[in-house]
Amino acid sequence: MIQVRNVTKRFGAKTAVNNLTFDVQPGVVTGFLGPNGAGKTTTLRTIVGLVRPEVGSVTVNGTKYHDLPAPMHEVGALLEAKAYHPGRRARDHLLALAQASRIPRRRVEEVLGLVGLSDAAKRKAGTFSLGMAQRLGIATALLGDPPVLLLDEPVNGLDPEGILWVRKLMQALAAEGRTVLVSSHLMSEMALTATHVIVIGRGRLIADSTIDELVRTSSGSRVRLRTPMADAVLPRLQAAGGTVQPGDDGAILVSGLEPKAVGDIAFEAQVPVYELTRLEASLEQAFMELTQEESEFRGQGSEGAQEGHGALPSSGPLPSNGGEAPAAQQGWPAPVPAQGWPAGQQGGAPGAPSQGWPAGQQGWSGPA
Amino acid sequence: MSAPAHALSGPSGAAASRAANPVPVMTDTLRSEWTKMRTLRSTKVTLAITAFLVIGLSALITWASVSSPHHGTQAITNPVGVIQSGWGLGWLAFEVLGVLVVTNEYSSGMIASTFLATPKRVRVLAAKAAVLSVVVGLVSLVMTFVNFYVGHAVLSAYPAFPDPALGANNVLRAVLGMALTSTLMALIGFALGAIVRHTAGGITASVAVLFVLPLVLQALPTSWRNPVEEYWPTQAGSQLEQVTRQAHALTAWWGTGDLALFVALLLVAAGYLVTRRDA
Repeated sequence: MIQVRNVTKRFGAKTAVNNLTFDVQPGVVTGFLGPNGAGKTTTLRTIVGLVRPEVGSVTVNGTKYHDLPAPMHEVGALLEAKAYHPGRRARDHLLALAQASRIPRRRVEEVLGLVGLSDAAKRKAGTFSLGMAQRLGIATALLGDPPVLLLDEPVNGLDPEGILWVRKLMQALAAEGRTVLVSSHLMSEMALTATHVIVIGRGRLIADSTIDELVRTSSGSRVRLRTPMADAVLPRLQAAGGTVQPGDDGAILVSGLEPKAVGDIAFEAQVPVYELTRLEASLEQAFMELTQEESEFRGQGSEGAQEGHGALPSSGPLPSNGGEAPAAQQGWPAPVPAQGWPAGQQGGAPGAPSQGWPAGQQGWSGPA
Repeated sequence: MSAPAHALSGPSGAAASRAANPVPVMTDTLRSEWTKMRTLRSTKVTLAITAFLVIGLSALITWASVSSPHHGTQAITNPVGVIQSGWGLGWLAFEVLGVLVVTNEYSSGMIASTFLATPKRVRVLAAKAAVLSVVVGLVSLVMTFVNFYVGHAVLSAYPAFPDPALGANNVLRAVLGMALTSTLMALIGFALGAIVRHTAGGITASVAVLFVLPLVLQALPTSWRNPVEEYWPTQAGSQLEQVTRQAHALTAWWGTGDLALFVALLLVAAGYLVTRRDA
């Protein structure tokens, strides 16, 4: 278990991490999400003592990293893809780190096999592709067979097979009761891999909850109602607090109400119901909504309004300015939220509509 | 790819299993740093080229200074100095090696892996410095004897010039001393590298300490220059190789002590900075 308590870290005038507090529990994969520059890497480096916070403390299994008697046996970390000398052979790199931690030489061969680098062990690490570099980094993290793992963007540069492998590995490690904290900017990947997520923006905690909760309470979630007598039910839905929009081929999209409430209203209105479906937002949409105000590098097209931050499941502090929408910018047809998410745009969570969040607009722009 | 979990030893239940973990000590850090040193080809290449150049250049200068009709008096007054004339280059090379031992970890990102494995950073620095000292000490020890006998052979072909013997006054001290001075030079580079954390900056600082600042001192009026030069660490340290004591210079061992003190201060500064700064 990792405990981060009131950590603040500044680099010059810039506050990279701002009074951050969270726990990472064993047994599940915890995703660590945030826009570029949110402070993810700084936080991870703080956990392992590479960066010293001005305020606050971080402990791993109750002890500061610096004071762990056998650190690599307690925490394995992949922090940057290329934390090795390019002129050293992969096996020698692992051997040097194993020796420093009193790990037997045969474990080097084991982890090389585990990450699929046995055949490349004699090659200089500098000749590795980004994907192989990631594998070597994962091998390094696993050397001490640690109960806590920190992985910063582990699937960067991996091919689909490699991504699947990392996902299964992380889930297997968590299933063994280990603590697994994984940062990523690939929302679709996180939706498949992680159970729990910690979202930060501009160094502050935005959300700390399960993915299910995050997605369910997102304002992107709505209910699709299909009925031949829409006019009869619309006023009742609005009166109950729902926001109603026309969907495709006559369906009604209701936000702000649960399927149960919509079904009850339809029953009271005595209209036939052909379809009543919960449409969950993807993790990506929930994430965009959360971090709208917190993005470090924000394109103008994504500054439009988002519906309330109010219903967040977060146990942590919420940004105070959530939901304040500059009216003049409403309805900007920003095609892509330009926050530097190069690869995460396409894949929504399974079972969820996969179009990108149409930033700046109030509702769905296309068929679900 | 096979199922990932087979080589993992199952749930290592947090603190409960902590007692079973082998706790690494200084010898483990030393072993690790030795592995790092020997597994980089650049280290071996640098040392080989240094040995070749120092011995070759020294032999060439020795030969030139006795075979030329316009030879100086150096070969008569200070034959050991002539035999060892290529070592300025050697000291610079050892300094650069010392710089690289630290800065190659910072420039490659390896330093993160190193400090993850051994978060006690002073221990890492101490182990690196120890391995560097042993390697440079042994290599320069072999070099200095080869260098001496090569020079000896050149001089013996010219009977008009004195041919120093190892047993003569202070000659053995000068020959052995070269290994000690070289080691201290490597440690200067090492400490500067740890302080600066950039290869180019570390090398520049090393060159400044060894060559440039002593040159700049020449511009000072003699009343200032003499005492400063006397105590300038690299100048003072080189007195160990002087068979006869020079004017305005410390004795061999005071000079070496002066250099060693300088190295110690640099190492303390390096240790302080490396511990305090973010890696």
